[in-house]
Amino acid sequence: MQDRDGQERGAAQNPNADNPSQASSETSVTTDSPASETAAAFTGVLKPLGILDKGVAMFEAAVLTVGILAMAVNSVANVIGRFIFGQSLYFSEELNQFLVILVTFAGVGFAARHGRHIRMSAIYDELPDKLRKALMVAIALITGAIMFLLAWYSFEYVYSVYGTGRIAPVTQVPIFLTLVWLPLGFMITGIQYVLTALVNLTRPDVYLSVTVVDSYEDTETQL
Amino acid sequence: MATAMIVTMIVLLLLGFPMMVPLIAATLIGFLIYLPIPPDIMIQQMLAGIRPSALIAVPMFILAADIITKGQSADRLIDMVMRFVGHVRGGLGVATAASCTLFGAVSGSTQATVVAIGGPLRPRMLKSGYSDSFTLALIINSSDIAMLIPPSIAMIIYGVVSGTSISELFIAGVGPGLLILLLFSAYAYVYARINDIPTEPKASWNERMQAVAGAVWPLGFPLIVVGGIYGGIFSPTEAASVCVGYAILLEMLIFRSLKLSDVFDIAKSTGLITAVVFILVAAGAAFSWVISFERIPQAILGGLGLAEAGPYTVLIAISIAFFVGCMFVDPIVVILVLVPIFAPLVDGLGLDPVLVGTIITLQVAIGSATPPFGCDIFTAIAIFKRPYIDVIRGTPPFVVILLMVSALLIIYPPIALFLRDLAFR
Amino acid sequence: DEWKYAIEEALEEVQGVYATKFKEYVEANSDHTVSIYPFGTLGESADTTELAQMGAIQFVDLSPGFTGSLIPELQVFLLPYTLPENPDVLADFYKTSSTINEKLAALYEQQQLKLIDMFPEGEVVMTTKEEVKAPEDLNGVKFRVMTTPLLVETYNQFGATPTPLPWGEVFGALQLNMIQGQENPMFFVESTKMYEVTDYITFTGHNTFTTAVAANLNFYQGLSDEDKKLVQTAADQAYDYIIDYQKGLTEKSLEKIKEAKPSITVTRLSDEEREPFRQAAEKVRQKYVELTGESGKEVLDGFEKDIEASKARVEGGGASEGSSDSAAASEETKASSAN
Ligand code: NA
Ligand code: NA
Repeated sequence: MQDRDGQERGAAQNPNADNPSQASSETSVTTDSPASETAAAFTGVLKPLGILDKGVAMFEAAVLTVGILAMAVNSVANVIGRFIFGQSLYFSEELNQFLVILVTFAGVGFAARHGRHIRMSAIYDELPDKLRKALMVAIALITGAIMFLLAWYSFEYVYSVYGTGRIAPVTQVPIFLTLVWLPLGFMITGIQYVLTALVNLTRPDVYLSVTVVDSYEDTETQL
Repeated sequence: MATAMIVTMIVLLLLGFPMMVPLIAATLIGFLIYLPIPPDIMIQQMLAGIRPSALIAVPMFILAADIITKGQSADRLIDMVMRFVGHVRGGLGVATAASCTLFGAVSGSTQATVVAIGGPLRPRMLKSGYSDSFTLALIINSSDIAMLIPPSIAMIIYGVVSGTSISELFIAGVGPGLLILLLFSAYAYVYARINDIPTEPKASWNERMQAVAGAVWPLGFPLIVVGGIYGGIFSPTEAASVCVGYAILLEMLIFRSLKLSDVFDIAKSTGLITAVVFILVAAGAAFSWVISFERIPQAILGGLGLAEAGPYTVLIAISIAFFVGCMFVDPIVVILVLVPIFAPLVDGLGLDPVLVGTIITLQVAIGSATPPFGCDIFTAIAIFKRPYIDVIRGTPPFVVILLMVSALLIIYPPIALFLRDLAFR
Repeated sequence: DEWKYAIEEALEEVQGVYATKFKEYVEANSDHTVSIYPFGTLGESADTTELAQMGAIQFVDLSPGFTGSLIPELQVFLLPYTLPENPDVLADFYKTSSTINEKLAALYEQQQLKLIDMFPEGEVVMTTKEEVKAPEDLNGVKFRVMTTPLLVETYNQFGATPTPLPWGEVFGALQLNMIQGQENPMFFVESTKMYEVTDYITFTGHNTFTTAVAANLNFYQGLSDEDKKLVQTAADQAYDYIIDYQKGLTEKSLEKIKEAKPSITVTRLSDEEREPFRQAAEKVRQKYVELTGESGKEVLDGFEKDIEASKARVEGGGASEGSSDSAAASEETKASSAN
């Protein structure tokens, strides 16, 4: 997302720049986007898919929230265990590794949905609207294709880990179970980018993601 | 092959692709066109990139920083600092640089520093009139001084790979680290002068004491981080999670500034930022792996004919190799791969391995803050939601300072070795 | 062809010396080349093992302690006071044990790995802040171990507080007194500078660090008979070399340490002093059988039988020295260097 209020467009257009106190380090994301936004890609026959998409979005948000809080609880519990009970939680490290994978790969799709992936858009931003739109369609399609490819490779990889039967030493959980998020996350991300291409092809504005319009008027979006 | 990978990466980057794509595409080119091995391994290496358990400190410090920024702790702490330095020209800039250095030194994580110190202090600096690009560059570059001040993972890895005393490395890093902090502070002062950043009226001691009293609870944070880690109570990773626990207690129960739902929202956004940064860490790890698997650095450096070079040439070559390597590849991998390649040269010339280690650590620190691929840059972009260009715009003067210190270190090694000799010789 | 060989240590360390010998023999006696990848350059032990399983690399060093998550029975190498303490007996044991070379080798094959060789890397020692003479001395000592159930159990039984910590944080944690001890083979204590931040080195004889060399199974089976022989001979040569190289390696590392830090105190526990530690080890063996079931028990019994045989062969009949239970495993460390 970061490029929408790019310097190239002139800091003056960036409300944050006008009022530095607002350009806070605020890191939170408004994820309950207006219905019209979420539905951007899902018009006509695609409407039922919109419901599914919303469900996926809510699931991702829940996974991120729970994942991060679980990491915090798990790590704090480990410290408390060591200090108060003189007993480290040996599963703590394995649980955290699992949570990092979970959060990363659930978050990739979520970030794609909200146009939050980091880009260097200095050149892209200089292009006229039409060209930007065309480029965005190409970027979205190629990115989507690469995500599908990774979904396939990660499926193969997870399957081969399943084949070896490797287990986590402490929790004795089969490693492949901790990895099932990979193919899923990449696939959801791929779908997000295909949808982005679709929205750009069917709508007048330039869309950065299904929910985020990449245009001058939109610079104050909270995302 | 290296050329094809790097060109692909840079072209896709400039076209405005999400940054994970240039990294992944370049890696895929390696796998699909050049390597005789299944591309599933790319997935394995992406996972390996986000496996180190110390990485947990990053989301934990993001979470803690966001909680205290949304609540009151950060404001109270900064108010206190401002009562003491607000009347000094460039005081806030210097305080920011020093805080980043201290926090980074202790936590060992430059990314966590960008978040934990940069998060709360950036709005204050903008309000005081510093430009955003200066502020961001100051935060990112000051955070990287962390690598030079113990405990430093980069130095531990170098020590193990090269067989150098880690204790000596730790001490040797302190001099250059403080020198850089000094120069950054001087630059902040000069910047404030030139841009005529207004100062605040000098606070009375009464006002100062009031501010300190208001910040008593939040002073627990520096206590946990600095006292907890240097006091041997927590590991840096643990300190991060203790900060989270303390932040939640403070803001929810004592200041009552946050509701449970706020904490949930903050956790969600922390998760998002973590994912955005970690997917790049993962993709970067896969990219590094291909480079390492194909022994590309060996091929490039083998062709340079450094065998007959003198000490200065070798030190400069080392600096450049690590600087360039860290621009594109994860610093730890760069150390693991390059140190053994240079080891015979260093031994042959009888160079002090502690000096070489300090120089290398410095280059690694610079590399993490320089484009195109620097973890701290990604973190800053994700946290502050600023465009890539904005985040790196203010960097050049800092890089110039850092390179100056590199040169000084080569010309005048006592900057690093003086303290070492004092302690060990 | 180019054969890629990943090890878990740096080139100058034991595995590096073995791999270099192996490489030299192969390159001198064939058209093949061997590229050695030192630790970390292709990932951690778990990664390089997988790379070998997938055939991306041809050879790999995999310490059995790590491989325990793949082949649970291999955790036998982590058991305290199980491997022979006498280096000659140990060397003979690795070479002749049918439990290793048949039973365990078959388990490796189920994982697409051909077991080529297994060799010791030196006795595991404890480095601590305070002197250790008896289990009581470990009371309240936060001791860093690799987070694997048997090592945790070992140090629990020894009386310490096993504390999991990522390898990268161990040096700093010892320096800042967050933890007060860690274990590793001697050469590794030297190369990782652990002695700089601890004051006592204790030889408890509880384990000898072991590593395995394996090849990708399909690759190996696809080799011509001539190449198979080449690999075996190269491994045999490297094995003999490394056993020889081992002799005095611990002493050499110790000398280097004493030179760098004269104040270090080195203690070698007497047989009597080791007794309480041996007692404690019994519980760990029970835990191993619990974890690995019938198959693990067979391996453990097989080990005991094979070790007796080796002892008889090397020490000549009367295996009455009572010094046979020594130590085997600190995978942890070296492994952990990849963490
Ligand atoms: Na540090
Ligand atoms: Na960089």
